[in-house]
Amino acid sequence: MNIHSNYAYLVSIYWICLLFISCSNDGGNDEVLDTDTYELIQPEGFPEIKYTTQNNPITQKGFELGRKLFFDPRLSADGSISCNNCHQQSRGFADSPVHPMSIGINSQAGNRNAPPLFNMAFRKEFFWDGGVTHLDFVPINALESDIEMGETMKNVVEKLNRNDEYRQLFKEAFDVDSITSPRILQAFSQYMLLMISNDSKYDQYQRQENNVTFTESEQKGMLLFDEKCSSCHSGSLFTDQSFRNNGISDTFSDNGRALITESNSDIGKFRVPTLRNIEVTGPYMHNANFDTLEEVLQHYANGVKNSETLDAMLKTENNQLGIALTESEQADIIAFLKTLTDETFLTDPKFNNPI
Amino acid sequence: MTLNEYHFNFEKALINLISMRLVSILKWDNKYLSNNNIDEYSLKKELLSYWYTMNCTPIIPYLKMKSTIKLIVLTFAFFAISCSSDDDGASNKDAVSTIKIKWDNIVGQKDMNIVEKQNLEYGYKTADNQDFNITAFGYYITNIILEGPNGERFEDEVSISAADAKGVYHIKEGDFASAATILQNVPVGKYNKITFTVGIPEEGVKEGAAGGVLDPAAGAWFWNWNAGYIGFAIEGHASTSSQAHNEIDGFVIPEKSFAIHIGGWRDITPLEGETPKFVNNIKTITLNFDSDVTVAESQEPSIHLLANAKALFDTSSVDFSTTYSVHAPILGKQFADVLDQVFSYSHVHQ
Repeated sequence: MNIHSNYAYLVSIYWICLLFISCSNDGGNDEVLDTDTYELIQPEGFPEIKYTTQNNPITQKGFELGRKLFFDPRLSADGSISCNNCHQQSRGFADSPVHPMSIGINSQAGNRNAPPLFNMAFRKEFFWDGGVTHLDFVPINALESDIEMGETMKNVVEKLNRNDEYRQLFKEAFDVDSITSPRILQAFSQYMLLMISNDSKYDQYQRQENNVTFTESEQKGMLLFDEKCSSCHSGSLFTDQSFRNNGISDTFSDNGRALITESNSDIGKFRVPTLRNIEVTGPYMHNANFDTLEEVLQHYANGVKNSETLDAMLKTENNQLGIALTESEQADIIAFLKTLTDETFLTDPKFNNPI
Repeated sequence: MTLNEYHFNFEKALINLISMRLVSILKWDNKYLSNNNIDEYSLKKELLSYWYTMNCTPIIPYLKMKSTIKLIVLTFAFFAISCSSDDDGASNKDAVSTIKIKWDNIVGQKDMNIVEKQNLEYGYKTADNQDFNITAFGYYITNIILEGPNGERFEDEVSISAADAKGVYHIKEGDFASAATILQNVPVGKYNKITFTVGIPEEGVKEGAAGGVLDPAAGAWFWNWNAGYIGFAIEGHASTSSQAHNEIDGFVIPEKSFAIHIGGWRDITPLEGETPKFVNNIKTITLNFDSDVTVAESQEPSIHLLANAKALFDTSSVDFSTTYSVHAPILGKQFADVLDQVFSYSHVHQ
């Protein structure tokens, strides 16, 4: 190496050092966030994160605030209903089976079965009809629905602003002096984004952890599932996130996806639900049509009803409806589905009622 | 390690530093990068190619340079680009001034007058003699661009976040403060046309919870069930309206009223053989001025634009007996499609 190039390197390094000093004032926000366990980590094999985390980085304060809001019935019009009323952790944040359509303020029944809440960060659309495309906007529907929490966002903001503790918590989480609706929604999102379910027996089996083994029935069920169910319940979320008519009826009082697309070809179509934690999220379907997984499998085997928008997958070439499944095959599939129950998530104290 | 390898490695390290610097600038900019879903390597590649084309000496002579000189060039280029981000885009030598856009809402030749709900006195008529009045009227305007005959161009910055909705304007008749949009830092020069978007397009909805005029608790026109914003709305009464009196939990829909809410932002091309789904009612409108508007340091012109409610009804051939409750994208299309005839240029105060 000659002296000249050595000299050049030194000059270059000098310049670079100078630069970092001269420009360091514009990088003030670059500090490393102390996110600890509050970081949204992309689980292996999951679809990419859809949420706009750059607009709402998760912090412990923000997460804890969202958690407190989630369990606070004061957010409803008469102080009786919190999010948790219809979204309970032990049920994968779906409702209890005694409330198949959920109960809102003034004991009013809902229109659809409350969906479970987890793995929301990876979803592109929300609700049975996919009407909402951003997680932030999800809670507004429950808060403002006349038959759910019966409030207006304006009132919720005013109520929280009258509360010193909440004002302090929002100050700590978002550095704001007064509470606004976007901050409320961001706090909810922070809490929900970290609800990740990927530690079921199935996941551990896939990762070859804890010497987990499948029983013969689970093993058979998995193969049958791959063959007969996974075209719609596909991938690591066990849903292709599409909207389909699965033949539970041939008439529709609830138009489902067509309410959003305004297309007749979508009448009676609903979101293909995830099957993770399916064991604890019954009853099943948007209208809570089936109480048990046995009924669901029987439906696919011999209960599918034909209509114009019935999914093509449920019609065979010789005009047979449904999916050919013997009773023992149904039992094996159910055994497999139960391996998707994630006790770690269902009991994670991080999501418990903070009060 | 040979000398060449040493050079190469050092160059790689420098390139790496430059990209890291850019990545951190962008992160700080909080626009392009989320923490999780951008592949840093491909970003670096893209940034580098940008850097080569935009900033540096032409690539060929550069490659022919001696390595020593290369390094110096690289270093200086690095200096140039890392510090240029400190500017706000408008360099000091270009003077800027202010333009005011005045939104004048009218009905045909008349000024728009808002009346109370359940007032059945009709001040206006459609082309086919349906009497009507107006109880609410307004719209969202965003993405304002001014252009001039000599290549002048001003783009109003749009930035939607939980804190604010910068570059988004909610014009509501009767709300005096909303009737004027003040655009600052407009480069001096001549301008002869304006382009703007009516409604909040996909980019805005995808940012998630938004503040300012998009905050649903602060009067934003938000659809929760089909999440997005109402871009344009008119409500009132019409002699021909078939709306019956309706009360839902204390909320009154008066007899003979109408409400037309234009929303819908999803733009999804149907697959082959699939019927069209979703209606995108977001419209971008360009209006030419009748003469050049001069913006100078001592001249802050006011441009008056018109939004004509009668044109909305006449051009869309509304019939209030069948169309009086429009609260979903498809029904709103009839009206969204004529918005380019609702807005027009009126005059300018220099």
